[in-house]
Amino acid sequence: MADSTILSLVLYLPVAGFLAIAALPAGRDALVRALTLGAMLVQFALSLVLYAHFDPAVPGLQASTQVAWIPAWGVTYYIGLDGYNILLVLLTTFLGPLVTAGAFSAITKDVKLFYAMVFLIQFAMLGTFVAQDLFLFYLFWETMLIPMFLLIGIWGGERRIYATIKFFLYTAFGSILMLAAVIYLVYSLQQTTGVISFAFADLYKVRLPLEAQKWLLAAFALSFAIKVPMVPFHTWLPDAHVEAPTAGSVILAGVLLKMGTYGFLKLGFPLFPDATLLATPILSTLAVVSIVYGACLALVQNDIKKIIAYSSISHLGYVMLGLVSLDLLGIQGAIVQMVSHGLVAAGLFLMVGMIYERCHTRELAAYGGLAKVLPVYSVFFMILTLASVGLPTTSGFTGEFLALLGAFNAGWRQWQGGSIYALIVAGVAVTGVVLGALYMLRFAQHFLFGAERVPHGPVADLNLREVSILAALAAAVFWLGLFPDSAMKRTELAAREYQQLVSAPRTPAPTRLTGTPPLEAAR
Amino acid sequence: MNYLAAAIAMAPEHLLLAGIVVLLILEIASERSRAALPLAVVFVSAAALAAALLGFNGWTGAPFPGQFELAPPAAFAKAILLALAVPVLLASKEDFGEGVFYPLMLSSLYGVCLLASAGSFLTLFLGIELMSIPVYVLVLLGMRRPESAEAALKYLVLSGTASAALLMGASLLYGATGSLGLSSFALALSSPDLLARTAVVLVVSAFFLKAAIVPFHGWAPDAYEAASVPTTAYMAVLVKAGVLVAAARLFGSAPVGELLVGLLLVLPLVSIVWGNLTAMRQPGLRRMIAYSSIAHAGYLFFALAGDGPGRFQAVVFYLAAYGVMNVLAFAALPANANDVERDRLENLKGLYHTHPFAALLIGMAMLSLAGIPPFPGFIAKFLIFKNVIAAGYTTWAVLGLVGSYIGIYFYLRVIQFMFMSPAAAATGHAPSRGLAMGASLLCLAGSIAIALLPAVFLARF
Repeated sequence: MADSTILSLVLYLPVAGFLAIAALPAGRDALVRALTLGAMLVQFALSLVLYAHFDPAVPGLQASTQVAWIPAWGVTYYIGLDGYNILLVLLTTFLGPLVTAGAFSAITKDVKLFYAMVFLIQFAMLGTFVAQDLFLFYLFWETMLIPMFLLIGIWGGERRIYATIKFFLYTAFGSILMLAAVIYLVYSLQQTTGVISFAFADLYKVRLPLEAQKWLLAAFALSFAIKVPMVPFHTWLPDAHVEAPTAGSVILAGVLLKMGTYGFLKLGFPLFPDATLLATPILSTLAVVSIVYGACLALVQNDIKKIIAYSSISHLGYVMLGLVSLDLLGIQGAIVQMVSHGLVAAGLFLMVGMIYERCHTRELAAYGGLAKVLPVYSVFFMILTLASVGLPTTSGFTGEFLALLGAFNAGWRQWQGGSIYALIVAGVAVTGVVLGALYMLRFAQHFLFGAERVPHGPVADLNLREVSILAALAAAVFWLGLFPDSAMKRTELAAREYQQLVSAPRTPAPTRLTGTPPLEAAR
Repeated sequence: MNYLAAAIAMAPEHLLLAGIVVLLILEIASERSRAALPLAVVFVSAAALAAALLGFNGWTGAPFPGQFELAPPAAFAKAILLALAVPVLLASKEDFGEGVFYPLMLSSLYGVCLLASAGSFLTLFLGIELMSIPVYVLVLLGMRRPESAEAALKYLVLSGTASAALLMGASLLYGATGSLGLSSFALALSSPDLLARTAVVLVVSAFFLKAAIVPFHGWAPDAYEAASVPTTAYMAVLVKAGVLVAAARLFGSAPVGELLVGLLLVLPLVSIVWGNLTAMRQPGLRRMIAYSSIAHAGYLFFALAGDGPGRFQAVVFYLAAYGVMNVLAFAALPANANDVERDRLENLKGLYHTHPFAALLIGMAMLSLAGIPPFPGFIAKFLIFKNVIAAGYTTWAVLGLVGSYIGIYFYLRVIQFMFMSPAAAATGHAPSRGLAMGASLLCLAGSIAIALLPAVFLARF
């Protein structure tokens, strides 16, 4: 089978699953669960094949499919894999079965609708990653909101309606301005080159005056920064995480938040390089503020879901820092950090869900000494905690270390150029690592050690299903920590391309004067 | 006069006329005939088919020169609008068992068809009146509450004012240019002559009134609420469509100057914002849809600011996407013996648990009306704002988009009621009947076609 066929299969398998369970009569919950898990596992297996077939030495797209869709507007149905998205596609399909299996015991209400929505969001997220046409990207990007809106709103906690509407309205506001920017961008491309196209590759060629670039970057960046989320656009995230069901939190933290950073990586920065260079101090400041502020907030939370939610804000700050460093290692570190955070945060949210199912509270103070009562749980919890802290041999180390290295390299270059600001920013970012260790270890200490406090005890340790989920996650965390080479190799060419696109100025070339010079010049 | 050309070019209108005559005879001949609905559906479908055939054959010409013109875009517009009327008819069974509804609706549709082909102010006026007058009666026929009479009167008086303004504008235009042709309006758009400019303002405000643009919108919420559900659907979709298609014909591809764009867009922008804000506070579905349709009229007028040739395409495409979803929402609404209860938004609470399919369809319709991808409403809105930006009015487009953002909330609220709230106690909602379900499925198929293959539709205009 050709790789492009496999990619289409991976993308449309969730749609088939959605239709299949929609056609099932109500009340067949066990069948729905089995069918969803089966489809998700097949999807992951297929995407492993894609990962294995992916040739790191070939620049550009692989396994691509391009079909004209709305020719009059230059819109094509264009999907494909490249170094930017291959790891994220793998992450998404890897988390799919885990989310599905993780919700088996937690979701007992409207099971059919629930898994239909999980399928739908899986489809939309994969579509966003593999889309190579801006119109298609926007379609998937926005479609993602609908299943998430329902996942939080139907199966969420007490304040779920407030949280889900806040989530939707926050993210939709960014998107609506991005839509205007998308239209303007494509129109400018048509005006300057005569080509009407939404394909990323064509849009990278558009030359825009700095003023226009600033506005367009602002619109794109707002949309992406809300999604990441970067401080000060982050306030929807704690609400959404706290109210969402476990599966919703896992999808949100595992994949959805990466949409923002992926958007910056693939679109925001490469499309508007000159404005990006101008905005780098602002962006890196916001990234560092996110790292430190998120960590400080995580330090004082008593709700265990909130600790992880704020830690997400902090961890994604490193991704942003790596992206704006424009250093090859920093960019690759940023991509690895995206995947690493996806694994670790997803794992932690799953573990919070597991304990919540047993003890029915998310209050940190209510717990203590779990290590004695739930030894298996505690081992996995410790692994994920250390990965979150960034201990060497775990994925968190690879990502954070490389991103910080990139930031220091960039800072060093700029210092030699006479500016010390970037170096200071990188220095402050390092304190985030210390803070990160502080809040995660505080969390683990209260949770696992000390006096034994188990609400609604006695409780049973993890069952086989839960152990399998966490074992898979732990294996992935160590794989990325111990053998990052395979993943890094696949991102290298994309990182180089990104570096090149963002470093090269792309304001319109000054028009050469021909014929008689203007009157002023003659004088 | 070429009789054959008149017979062919006006085939959709002739079929509607035949339908009206047959339905009237039937009405006289038998007291309560069960054949009225199937006959009406057959005639409207045949008319839609005829219009589509004319379009595919590329029939172009003017059987009544200067008055009635037909070209493929207009023929396809007629086909789409007539096709939209079919699900409205199908969903009307419960509310209009008696025959008198059908000849009235077909007469009004005749007016809509005339508007799509109007070549002069004479035909335009005729079309508008023919479209509106039966609707006054239809609103009144919905007489299930005492307010119906008041609402119908309000609609009649305000609509009459619009007709007067249109006539006044047309006569001033005749005075200024000596012609009643629609092209004289296009000329007047760029004319420095005060008389011509006054005429433009009068004509445009007549259209604003007919399309319920703020501040001329007062009649719409009352009329929409008072009318029965199929009449509301008809007004929200086809009457609005008729007005906007006429406006698109009127503006043609004439350039609209900077100053005029400001005048043309400021009220639609206010409409978008005000309509969306007010819709949030409505307790009833029909009033909410009325305010939503006020906002949608705003987007539609934005289409007129786009570059010339794209205007008609954008208007008709938007009408198709908006219409199909609006009709879908009304057709999927569960039947209820009590009209007030049926309308109450609170009663939609927990609908997913009692009528899952209806809830899914209404949810889709709401998201599409809100302009959320991947539903057709998004593609239509995209087209309009793409044209506005391409014409150089980026600021206006951004304002319009932000205005449309305000609307998302109240559409989401409906979904929240249906999916996230416990079921309302004893709403009296009955399961949907077969015909209404058929209408919903037709709309669903239509919207999937528009969303997946927009290029097929766009290539027709």
